[in-house]
Amino acid sequence: MTQQTKEQPPINHIPSSTFAKDISREPGGEGIMQCIQCGMCTASCMVASKTERYRPRKLIQKILLGKREEVLSSELPWLCMTCRLCEERCQEDVDLSEIFTAVREMAAREGYIPPVFQNTIDKVLEDGWLLNDAYTDFEEDDRDDLGLDTDLGWNNEFVKKLKKKYFEGGAKK
Amino acid sequence: MKEFLLYTGCTTPVRLPGYEKAVELVLEKLGVRLTTMKDANCCGAQYIESVNHVAFAAMSGRILALAEKENMNIIAICGACSGSLKHVKYDLDNNPELLAEVNDILEEEGLKYTGKTQVKHLLQIFREDIGYDAIKSAIVNPYKGIRLAAHYGCHVTRPEEIVQVDDAENPTIIDRIIKAAGGTAVDYNGKTRCCGGPLLAMDEEVGNAIGRDKIENIRAENVDGIVTACVFCDIQLTQVQFGEEAGNKPKIPVITLPQFLGPALGIDEESLGISLIKINPQAILKAH
Repeated sequence: MTQQTKEQPPINHIPSSTFAKDISREPGGEGIMQCIQCGMCTASCMVASKTERYRPRKLIQKILLGKREEVLSSELPWLCMTCRLCEERCQEDVDLSEIFTAVREMAAREGYIPPVFQNTIDKVLEDGWLLNDAYTDFEEDDRDDLGLDTDLGWNNEFVKKLKKKYFEGGAKK
Repeated sequence: MKEFLLYTGCTTPVRLPGYEKAVELVLEKLGVRLTTMKDANCCGAQYIESVNHVAFAAMSGRILALAEKENMNIIAICGACSGSLKHVKYDLDNNPELLAEVNDILEEEGLKYTGKTQVKHLLQIFREDIGYDAIKSAIVNPYKGIRLAAHYGCHVTRPEEIVQVDDAENPTIIDRIIKAAGGTAVDYNGKTRCCGGPLLAMDEEVGNAIGRDKIENIRAENVDGIVTACVFCDIQLTQVQFGEEAGNKPKIPVITLPQFLGPALGIDEESLGISLIKINPQAILKAH
């Protein structure tokens, strides 16, 4: 073995792929290298308790091992509810929801956004708020009956500016 | 009288206007006056937050800057909004580069974020600005013989070091208010777990299974109702009790904290929008 080590570059057994390093440089992704793969996150996770598709520990492991394309193109980072129950319990202070948010942002830059997210993003960047289409005469009447202002006064100019600056003209950091 | 600027968020004004009105009336009764923020935008939670952190910081940052312009502190009544505003405030206060970029955009409409505005969730106003003793002494029509389960909302209480609302593993604010109003606050398995709401977009089935899990844990404690402090949680814990998967089990009323507290303070039910609550809460409200 000693002979082999001299002839070949040493194998790095620390799971620290380029992908993991990239994630650690994203806002929110800083803590990924602290993960010791104990599985407390999966044990705490309500999504994992209801579906076998999602295991937060495994998702972190995939990132540490450098499965870049697999992770960025999958639905997995988008299945985190960001409820932060796992983070409250993680003994190594790994903020999983922040890491998965950083992964989502990277995926988005490379063109992977689940259609259901894209649709809502488009609406918010057009209307300035989420429920423009749902606000009908019925809801207005309820507000009127309660003595609440029926003119909600949402601003949509600002989001249009953001859309132009951050969401048009190709992927932009 | 203390004053706060109310950021309603997108969902409450449309889906739960009774909650909005009850917040206003109950706080007024307890010495806190609210002004509703106008010309605001969505805080960017979940959707913009997932795809562009600068745009997200700009959206929540603009809301913070609007409050600064009014020289007021913000009250948020939705977990997603209070979480976003507090997170972005933390980021802007600690990341000069992000702050400069956000302020560049805000400057175009004469706004600036400097960090002087505080953001509080409704629960903090009850604990910090009003206090349990003042709530207790304002109770004129106490509840008797009712068992209630508190649901706090993930983004209301976590992460504790940033949102600073309550003990994240053992929150007590809603429980203490239930007790102050004469009710019995009941603990249940998985009290700090999520309602499942944030998963509805990606996987409705799993999101609803998570919500029903919560309902069954609460049902096991034989309660009369669930008291909430977030618009999304309230809607989710209500809607999972309808539909085929819910079966024929009796529905447990879900009521927001101010709509529960209001009648005990002598505010009439009609003005609190009680009739708009989907699962009839009269079993709770008649218990005096």
